[in-house]
Amino acid sequence: MRTVGFLVNPIAGMGGAVGLSGTDGGVEEAVRRGAVPHAAVRAARTLSLLRDEDIAWCTCASPMGEDVLTGAGIDSYTVLYRPTVPTGAADTTAACRVFLAAGVDLIVFCGGDGTARDVFDAVGGEVPILGIPAGVKMYSAVFAVNPAAAADLVRRAGDIPCRDSEVMDVDEEAYRSGRLTARLYGYACVPFVPERIQGGKQVFEQQDEERAKDDIAAFITEIMLPETLYIIGAGSTTARVMERLGLAPTLLGVDAVVNAEIVASNADERTLLALLDEHPRAKIVVSPIGAQGFVLGRGNQQISPAVLRKAGLSNLIVVATPAKLAGTPLLYVDSGDAALDREVGDSMLVVSGYRMAQRKRVVHSE
Amino acid sequence: MQTKILLDEGEMPKRWYNIQADLPTPMDPPLHPATGKPMVPDDLRHIFPMELIRQEMSTERHIDIPGEVRDILTLWRPSPLYRARRLEAALKTPAKIYYKWEGVSPPGSHKPNSAIPQAYYNREAGIERLATETGAGQWGSSLAFATGLFDMECTVYMVRSSYDQKPYRKSMMQVYGAECIPSPSNKTRSGQAVLARDPDTPGSLGIAISEAVEDAAAHDNTNYALGSVLNHVCLHQTIIGQEAREQLAMVETYPDVIIGCVGGGTNFAGLTFPFAGDKMTGKHPETEIVAVEPAACPTLTKGLYAYDFGDVAGLTPMMRMFTLGHDFVPPAIHAGGLRYHGMSPLVSRLARDGVVRPVAYRQNEVFEAAVLFARTEGIIVAPEAAHAVKAAIDEALRCRETGDAKTILFNNSGHGNFDFSSYEAYFGGRLVDYEYPVELIKESLARLPATG
Ligand SMILES: Cc1ncc(COP(=O)(O)O)c(C=O)c1O
Repeated sequence: MRTVGFLVNPIAGMGGAVGLSGTDGGVEEAVRRGAVPHAAVRAARTLSLLRDEDIAWCTCASPMGEDVLTGAGIDSYTVLYRPTVPTGAADTTAACRVFLAAGVDLIVFCGGDGTARDVFDAVGGEVPILGIPAGVKMYSAVFAVNPAAAADLVRRAGDIPCRDSEVMDVDEEAYRSGRLTARLYGYACVPFVPERIQGGKQVFEQQDEERAKDDIAAFITEIMLPETLYIIGAGSTTARVMERLGLAPTLLGVDAVVNAEIVASNADERTLLALLDEHPRAKIVVSPIGAQGFVLGRGNQQISPAVLRKAGLSNLIVVATPAKLAGTPLLYVDSGDAALDREVGDSMLVVSGYRMAQRKRVVHSE
Repeated sequence: MQTKILLDEGEMPKRWYNIQADLPTPMDPPLHPATGKPMVPDDLRHIFPMELIRQEMSTERHIDIPGEVRDILTLWRPSPLYRARRLEAALKTPAKIYYKWEGVSPPGSHKPNSAIPQAYYNREAGIERLATETGAGQWGSSLAFATGLFDMECTVYMVRSSYDQKPYRKSMMQVYGAECIPSPSNKTRSGQAVLARDPDTPGSLGIAISEAVEDAAAHDNTNYALGSVLNHVCLHQTIIGQEAREQLAMVETYPDVIIGCVGGGTNFAGLTFPFAGDKMTGKHPETEIVAVEPAACPTLTKGLYAYDFGDVAGLTPMMRMFTLGHDFVPPAIHAGGLRYHGMSPLVSRLARDGVVRPVAYRQNEVFEAAVLFARTEGIIVAPEAAHAVKAAIDEALRCRETGDAKTILFNNSGHGNFDFSSYEAYFGGRLVDYEYPVELIKESLARLPATG
């Protein structure tokens, strides 16, 4: 029998229905406009599909879980944490710590990007986590596409692999005022079903994320030229390129490399511009970030329009594993410079293996 | 208005056409893998019968088709030539589109055109069993069919992943009396070596070739058979183009544009070589000949013209051809028959000389074309043949732009009746548009060891 920790952020997703984005700091406003908690409704849909599974549930007292479990017809569970109402971020992290201490195999939560960040703060990569989407808009890649898909993943967790999935830090204050800033916050471990493209005349080999990252890194390091500045963007795929060169990557930031040596670690925009002055020949290696697959403008803000223009768009190399690309039918660019976004064109080539790439459609901004 | 143009059985060509006779200069010889010296016929005797080795190296313009082979070919030949009127109407093109339909053979493609003569010459040489590899299953089924007719045994090493995924191809070989073994297997040393390293390997064409060659070399009564790439296979396929030329002459036409898909290059060679001969000898110097390949494995459009091995392990002779490098593993596109790093040396030579123009397409656009073809002409084509369909449609659309009423001829090399999972993936939005990143690879070529 597997042990699963389950919690709901009861106020997640309340803003959307009343025209707000996200609810961090805006609950009262949302309630005033007549929002009703619907994270519980979304979570109940997932749980009702898991009623007959052999799962030992650990949860929080109402309104952070118990009420949803009973509502979904699950009446055998253990309440491990009692929140204070109104609930807050501290309740999410505290509940997760208790789940970890109880030895859960998986933590399932229902909420938005903010909830994902809070869960990640407590859990890191210690056990797999999985989000049931309830928030307004999800940038983190830790959510199932819908409640039914979440149920399927919970049912199969343990038998299917996990992958590194981005947790994004979305500044909701800025978002409400119409600006989106989303930083790469960390990598959680999330169960996923490998896409198997079958039939044809050859089965697709099982898509092994780690092997795919190695293949991409092998190719990129093979084509690296001497006396050329390489700006290596954030993320676990680009990090593998650094590791292959024997260098220590900044997982959540941008590094710069010349002749297989680090010339700047976790570089900011100014440092990158200065390096570009010094090294006229430059390449930028980035990976799409987050659930939507943002190539530019999310998670790699240091690689600004000025940096991109100075290096030249033709020197942008995009890399991503096949599994990641299978989950993002479109790629997004939103560099903050609409003219630059347009120069990217309607499609781009994404290196997805050793000497192999995929042509992907590109959407500009949103 | 005529839709099908048919020849009588008595009008089937009696000779194969050997394009080597019409090349301005001779082909570069294949090189021995160990010594790097030009191969001599004796080097190949332990796996091929002398007559096929002779055909491989021949520069005679015509080679007679044995009567016994012709008798068997009449089971489905001459194959029909179709005028694709409904497709033309859907495209609103002034172009006339003709296609040669090779899916009428019992196994469903052009492959038996060479399987029958290969089995015949081996039986004549006293060989009792043939060993071969198959990736897609088309060639394995064809050789199984052919050896059965000559009372020979046949062992097919089928790439493990296909073996598991295409159970009906395996059943087809069984019905024809062949033994179909998933590769890598425990029957050969090369197979054992791979299994020891990776018991769960899905296998590859390269491994399967090694197994079949090893099997043939180890048994006196057994030879090896290859279904593509080689000169003698191209030669056997020229019956397609000779028939087509005859059939078009019956409606007083000669094509302006001729199109075929290329994996190892043999169905393309089969349709186009008789016309390429006309082009090179000045009879029809303006004919356009187009070879269509996948963007994921763009041997002719993006490869190097160099000496390279025919297999992954480097056991075969080195041939001068367009290649992406024998260590290149093409991604798992659905046109499995087009996943080959190299290309027929003859087709390569014509591409280098500018007689043939190569183009490359991505998977989704190819399937889109195949679906349009099915909805107008009825035939559901193999993913390989769909590449030719796509190029023909694009040519016809260009004619709509220019108002040019060109005559387009393409080879419809096989049916897709075992390929529905590929169509399903297309409709499900799961087909990946792989593309060989040639610019990135070129940048690094200066730093890579020379390939020849
Ligand atoms: C239907 C079909 N067409 C084309 C090919 C490609 O081979 P070739 O280029 O030798 O004709 C294959 C190979 O499996 C095939 O099955």
